[in-house]
Amino acid sequence: MHLLVASIGFGLVTASILAIAAVGFTLQFGVTNILNLAYGAIMTASAFLAYAITTSGLGIWAALAICSVASGIGCVLLNRAIYTPYVRRGTGLFGMIIVTISVSLVVEFTLQAIHGSSFVSLSLPATRSYHFGAMVFTGLQLAIIAIAVLAMLCVHVLLRYTKLGKAMRATAADPVLARSCGISTGRVIDLTWLVSGAMCGLAGVVLVINVTSFDTSTGGEFLIPIVAAAILGGVGQPYGAMLGAVIIGVSTEVAAGLFDPTYKDMVSFVILVGFLLLRPQGLFAEIATQKEVVA
Amino acid sequence: MSIPTRRASARWTTPLTVALTCLGLAACGGTSTTSPLTVAAFNPFSGVDAAFGPEIMAGCNAAATLVNRSGGVIGHKVVCSSVDTRGDAADAVPAADKMLATTTNLVGVIGPSSDEAQATVPVINASNVPMFADTGEAAFDKSSYRYFYRIIPADDVKGYALALWAHEHHYTRAAAVFGNDIGAQSDVPTLLTAFKKLGGKFVINEKLVPGQSSYRTEVEQLLSANPQVIFTEADPQTSATFFSELRQLGRLLPIIGTDTTLEGPWKKAVGGAIGAANLNQHFVGMQPSALTSGPAVSVYTKAVHSSTYGTDPYSMADYDSLNLIAFAMLAAHSTHPSKFSPQIVRIASGGPGAVTVHTFAAGAHALASGKTIHYVGAAGPIAFDQWHNSSGAFEAVDSKGNVIGMVSAADIAALKGASPTG
Repeated sequence: MHLLVASIGFGLVTASILAIAAVGFTLQFGVTNILNLAYGAIMTASAFLAYAITTSGLGIWAALAICSVASGIGCVLLNRAIYTPYVRRGTGLFGMIIVTISVSLVVEFTLQAIHGSSFVSLSLPATRSYHFGAMVFTGLQLAIIAIAVLAMLCVHVLLRYTKLGKAMRATAADPVLARSCGISTGRVIDLTWLVSGAMCGLAGVVLVINVTSFDTSTGGEFLIPIVAAAILGGVGQPYGAMLGAVIIGVSTEVAAGLFDPTYKDMVSFVILVGFLLLRPQGLFAEIATQKEVVA
Repeated sequence: MSIPTRRASARWTTPLTVALTCLGLAACGGTSTTSPLTVAAFNPFSGVDAAFGPEIMAGCNAAATLVNRSGGVIGHKVVCSSVDTRGDAADAVPAADKMLATTTNLVGVIGPSSDEAQATVPVINASNVPMFADTGEAAFDKSSYRYFYRIIPADDVKGYALALWAHEHHYTRAAAVFGNDIGAQSDVPTLLTAFKKLGGKFVINEKLVPGQSSYRTEVEQLLSANPQVIFTEADPQTSATFFSELRQLGRLLPIIGTDTTLEGPWKKAVGGAIGAANLNQHFVGMQPSALTSGPAVSVYTKAVHSSTYGTDPYSMADYDSLNLIAFAMLAAHSTHPSKFSPQIVRIASGGPGAVTVHTFAAGAHALASGKTIHYVGAAGPIAFDQWHNSSGAFEAVDSKGNVIGMVSAADIAALKGASPTG
């Protein structure tokens, strides 16, 4: 019982990282319909930027802010310079997936060419452990949970209470109708990439705060649970991605506690597959799945 | 000046075409008289085991430099080329096919590693190219591959060495924390058997799934089992996360790692995660023992030009591998692998009347004088068994690279033959 409760606590940390990443991933997909598989590589790039920033003497919190902004701007430029030209030439969903995989490889190997294949660690402040019953967290892990909660609140406010959020939802639901209603879908798409990129950068840094040492493949290895959380929640559904992240994150750790940890990924993915058999559209599904890529 | 007629042109064109075709075929089908001979470093140069490849290239290039400085092999220079397997069998098989199909004058392969050996050893063997594998997998202990050679100890031997070191330090309750990949898991069965034979008990055996953002549940389980010592091998990032969380959740325990944990990236990642001082205090890694002095080592150390690889037993073994290939070609007067390959065992084993040599220059000179040679290189004496495997003693090394103890080949052999206690 002690281990089960502790596992739930550990799962919350994993879920927090997953939630930041999965919400950013699914938000962008929902609006643009581009399945950006370079997301993990961009997380890694942000982590290396954070490493450079902390090595230069600035603190980890400054690095978090700078990496978020830089990643957001980077994603807007990535979309404008690479993805949009392909979309305008009529590249379909699967073609765009190949383009994003190519970008992912280019980013990963560029980082490797610059930095080499060795591992690096961020300089992190020493924090003590906090006990909540059987759950144990370090100060940094509590900070990760707090950052995730704050990020989710910001996304909620953005989507529900701002004109931009409404425009995003309208563009996600039907881009042609949104455009004919006077919404500048191009601007909405740029801002979506900015928000999604900022969350991607944030996720990359909190991931490496938790794993402590990383190399150029770290973000890419984390992409599968991110996509799983997004799919479980309903593709393109930020609220679904939040819930999907909690289910994947907590079930993974609880499975490790109850069964052989070797099978912890398998157990969470069995849950995913089983759930999708019952509800193929995911937890939250409002948007039609048969959209075309938005230019 | 007369201009050739169409008929005259045709008269010259046909033999020229035939001659050029023959030249082309000769270049493709055999070794041309002066073109360089290639030894391929077939190992991961990217991915989680990206450190393996440069380690091989360091030893290979050092040996090739010295071979070429001594005039090369039968008029050929020797070059080392890198072939990236990415540490994955799915990538390694096409990489092997491409290497075998496109590399001109491929006379030997250094590799594959455990990551891709099962998939690629048959492919390389079928092409009749001798390979010096750096896999420890026990599956190759008694393999029937003619062109397979291994001068690093098998993993089952490694398991005995780890258990003996723990026993020497009076540990009786141990945890096995290994990655779930084939390379790491191949160490585990003999480690479990050996530690039990010595009267020890494994309180937990954890297989870590690599690349997770957290191993806190596994750490909690380990702490609940209350071991005195942790035996480990996992990739750098997995290990860094695991030991960092172990430090956060409880206390660091003594860690006995395999030779993989002595790689630079592992020490950098884990040292960065738990602190260099903690790593130095709690960690020791066991690696195949390499000579630290002697004529072969001093020549190797000068040639390798690297403090990182200067004392690396794998780089030393790779250096010796290229020398063995070069000697075998000289002894057989041939650069055709099927002809020179049988000489490899003879040169490593010596035999009656053989002159012991430690460098390529000395060996080439002796062979040119019509003598037989016994090569004892930077990694020490090599004694191939009938399956082309050779192993020796192990040394315990701290995180700073200092040798702090030894486990002898005799102790390992004795333990292998002992019956379980309890």
